[in-house]
Amino acid sequence: MLVFANPTFLWALTAAAIPLMLHMFQRRRTVVTPFPTLRFLKAAQKRSSSRVRFENFLLWLLRTLLLLALGFAFAMPLIRTTAAGSWLSRTRRDVAIVIDASYSMNYELDRGKVWEVCKDAAASIIGGLLPGDRACVYLAAETPVPVIEKPTTEHATVIQAINALKCLPGSSKIDEAVAAAIAVLEQQEGRREREVYVMTDGQALPWQGFRDAAKKDETANTAGRAVITREQRDEISLFALLAGAKAPENAWPSDVKVSPLIMLAGQTARLKASVGRSGSSKEITLGLEIAGQERGKRSVTPLAESEADVEFVVNGLEPGIHVARITTPADALPEDDEFLFLVRVRKQLPALIVGPQNATRYLKAALAPGASDDGVRQIDAAEFDSVDLRDYQAVFLCDAFPLAGQAILRLEEYAHNGGVVIVFPGDRAEISSYGEMHMLPAQPESVENIPAEIAARPLRRIANQPGQVVNFNMSLPPGTVPTVALKRIMRLGALRENAAVLVTAGDDTPLLTGRAVGRGRVFMFTVSADRDWSTLPLTAFFLPVAHQLIRQGAGASVQPPHVVLGIQQPVNEIIPEHREDDVIVSPSGSQLALRDSGNRVLVIENLSEPGIYTRTRSGAETPEPVMAVNTDRTESRLTPLGAAELNEWTSFKKLFVANDPEELSKLVDEYRNGRSLAEMCLWLAMLLALLEWWFANRVLRKQIGASEKLTVDLAGKVVAQ
Amino acid sequence: MKEGIAAFLNPAQMAKLNRLTLSSRYVVEGTLAGRHRSSQKGASTEFADHRAYIPGDDLKRIDWKVLARTDKYYVRRYQDETNLRVYLLVDRSGSMGYSSSSDLPTKFKYASTLAAALGYVVLKSRDAIGMYIYGEKLDASMPCKNSFNELNNSLKILQGYKPAKGTAGADVMHQIAESINRRAMIVIISDLLDDQPEIIRALAHFRKNLHDVIVLHTFDPVELNLNLKRSAEFEDMENGERLIADPRTLAKEYKDLMGEFIDKYRKACAEMKIDYRLLKTDEPIDTFIRAYLEERKRLSR
Repeated sequence: MLVFANPTFLWALTAAAIPLMLHMFQRRRTVVTPFPTLRFLKAAQKRSSSRVRFENFLLWLLRTLLLLALGFAFAMPLIRTTAAGSWLSRTRRDVAIVIDASYSMNYELDRGKVWEVCKDAAASIIGGLLPGDRACVYLAAETPVPVIEKPTTEHATVIQAINALKCLPGSSKIDEAVAAAIAVLEQQEGRREREVYVMTDGQALPWQGFRDAAKKDETANTAGRAVITREQRDEISLFALLAGAKAPENAWPSDVKVSPLIMLAGQTARLKASVGRSGSSKEITLGLEIAGQERGKRSVTPLAESEADVEFVVNGLEPGIHVARITTPADALPEDDEFLFLVRVRKQLPALIVGPQNATRYLKAALAPGASDDGVRQIDAAEFDSVDLRDYQAVFLCDAFPLAGQAILRLEEYAHNGGVVIVFPGDRAEISSYGEMHMLPAQPESVENIPAEIAARPLRRIANQPGQVVNFNMSLPPGTVPTVALKRIMRLGALRENAAVLVTAGDDTPLLTGRAVGRGRVFMFTVSADRDWSTLPLTAFFLPVAHQLIRQGAGASVQPPHVVLGIQQPVNEIIPEHREDDVIVSPSGSQLALRDSGNRVLVIENLSEPGIYTRTRSGAETPEPVMAVNTDRTESRLTPLGAAELNEWTSFKKLFVANDPEELSKLVDEYRNGRSLAEMCLWLAMLLALLEWWFANRVLRKQIGASEKLTVDLAGKVVAQ
Repeated sequence: MKEGIAAFLNPAQMAKLNRLTLSSRYVVEGTLAGRHRSSQKGASTEFADHRAYIPGDDLKRIDWKVLARTDKYYVRRYQDETNLRVYLLVDRSGSMGYSSSSDLPTKFKYASTLAAALGYVVLKSRDAIGMYIYGEKLDASMPCKNSFNELNNSLKILQGYKPAKGTAGADVMHQIAESINRRAMIVIISDLLDDQPEIIRALAHFRKNLHDVIVLHTFDPVELNLNLKRSAEFEDMENGERLIADPRTLAKEYKDLMGEFIDKYRKACAEMKIDYRLLKTDEPIDTFIRAYLEERKRLSR
């Protein structure tokens, strides 16, 4: 709908008649001029009448349009963008500001960080509200963060809250924040104009939720989250400020893989770092720093919008937990230029042997040949309750049955959390006492004496079957077939779930079975750990198989070198050796909150701060690094979103996209008051004036006639050219 | 008030014209011995041909060398040389009264000055000059005389005329062509704004009588380019017809038409071997005469 801000100036439109009047007036005031070649004038007039008439018409049209454009410009025409635009400028409104808080908002532009630009734009929007208009503010993060939850008319408070906001380290989901804001606006009383403003850097990732929702049925399961309905998309106005760089450049270390997973002192560590690149292909130099010492630099040139891998080889690491970091050169987004991880180097893997001295003698000798090695501890079954199993990588039960029910429960919990339990039978316990431990690979059924004539059995490793959970990868010495002489053996029933026979004595007598239990492993031999049941402890096979079992178990429960920020993280996966009285402190110095999610499973509540977390054990004086937390680097891949894509993804009927705060301000003004055509009219007037000047002076006056093609010399001679 | 040649040329201009001569490109017939080739054979130093001796011939003219070679009597004949008779035809039709600016003379004034200058050059070469003045009819005719007094008298008569109302250029030219019996040089100073085919026929009439014809087509610069700034009601200077027009919008077509008009005369004159020159009243006359006569002299060698 076209309206005029200064309708009085519409009188100026009558000026459009001036050219016609002047034309008519000029005709009447002609001066009589004697002229000798009137015959040529008459002929010329006859010949040119149609052209002259057309040119005169064009000139009149140009001049009339010029005056009309000037008249319209003074009258300041406005086009209302909505049918109800006449009262839009006067109506009350509820406004929701959604600010993208993902770390890519820290991208440095010429005018400052995108985050600051967006905050200023948000404050400007609030500042432009009329008294009585209500506003609320939400942060778009992994989950929407209400800053001003309920719309309020206290604009100064809202601006203060916006100015105090800080960017978050993670990613964001704008769709969820917009949905939450709309849900709050919908709850407000009174029928008001509702507007949602999204301040973001314009990266595609935070908007993905809109695209995914567009593909799904709106009524699909949304797990309790707010949903934007079709009606809301049609009714509510969505303004989006895409303030980020149009062609962003960024490089970031995205991942580090450490091998071997369990590193013992003296081993060589191989670190494979991945580096990502947004923008054009460019050489990037990665630096590796371990425990504050620079350990190497590598250059790589990833292709545009791709990732590349770089390998570092590190020797001579001392036992301990070392803080390491991979760095890329400083760029416009410094938040992702560093990737933290921990390198854990162990002196050896600690093991607990439970059982009487005579049953555990050979095993202890195999695991701790130096006798003074404090990594291996042997206890009697009676002492079992006093031992904290989390201090050990593996627990050997050698003729340790029968065990109390409480001990069996502890062992099951230990295995579920990633521990390794290795069971050797013995003569002390009845066969039925093994039945209480349900995590064994199979139910023991009987103990059978083996006749001497069939006692000698070759050991045979059973190849891993497809889908087998428990694998046993140790190779037997080449060219040798170890043989064991059996005196007595435990017969097993059917294998339980996730269990497998790993080694047999002879063709079909299981000697070693294994089972995956939770994150841990349970292995069971069918002979005892001493010489009473077999010659197994005396074979060359015994020592390596004991070490391999510990190592395999340790591999299953290895701590990750780094952790990604997340809402909830299970403690037993990240810090398996965690104790209740441990104090974990975040990089900023606050104590990490843990919550029991049921069944004694602890989770870290809202792991939202990247950096190195430290743990202080009771009694220990110095904290030790326990967890390296990094942001999810998906956000680092900067992919700007266009207005057309945004329109398609969000499918809001009234979507207004601006690329800078000034454009946003103009869009808002146009939406509320109408689009001013005055400037356009002035431009049109200028264009018409130029056209008129050019037409009247260049086209009409500069026509070359035939007589000008004649050259007359001084002697009056005419030379035709 | 100055009269005669002094009214048109000042001493400085006359001094510039002193050494110039107007030569005819063709054979002419004069009454006195002069520099110009005559159609008659007579006494001069320029050999023409031999003729067989007949009794009564002067014995001095017998070519004795030919007699020695052929044993026949031949007499030598020589090209006769005579003076040039130049007739100036000055147009005083209504259109000749036009001047686009007070700084420029009317076309008639310009033509009169041109006639005075040419007459002065002709008399200085000891040739004879005559003059015809015409407008709607033949107004005056002055016979060819080799006398400054006669030229002065003629110019006084010309000075007494003003541009007429109409024009009858073609008829008068035919009349003049009939009245000149002997071969002469005819110089027409006019804008030739008459019935163009008739004018061309009249020019052809002059050439038929073996006259050497020069057309000095005289225009005001505005007539050629129509560079007038304001629209006006234009009145024809000969028939009084009026037309309201904006010269700026008509300039293109006008110039085309004027170009065609001039071109037609130029081509017709070229076909009839008439010397056609276009003059603008903003050009100094002495400069034109000097350039023109120098060129003519160069071409006649």
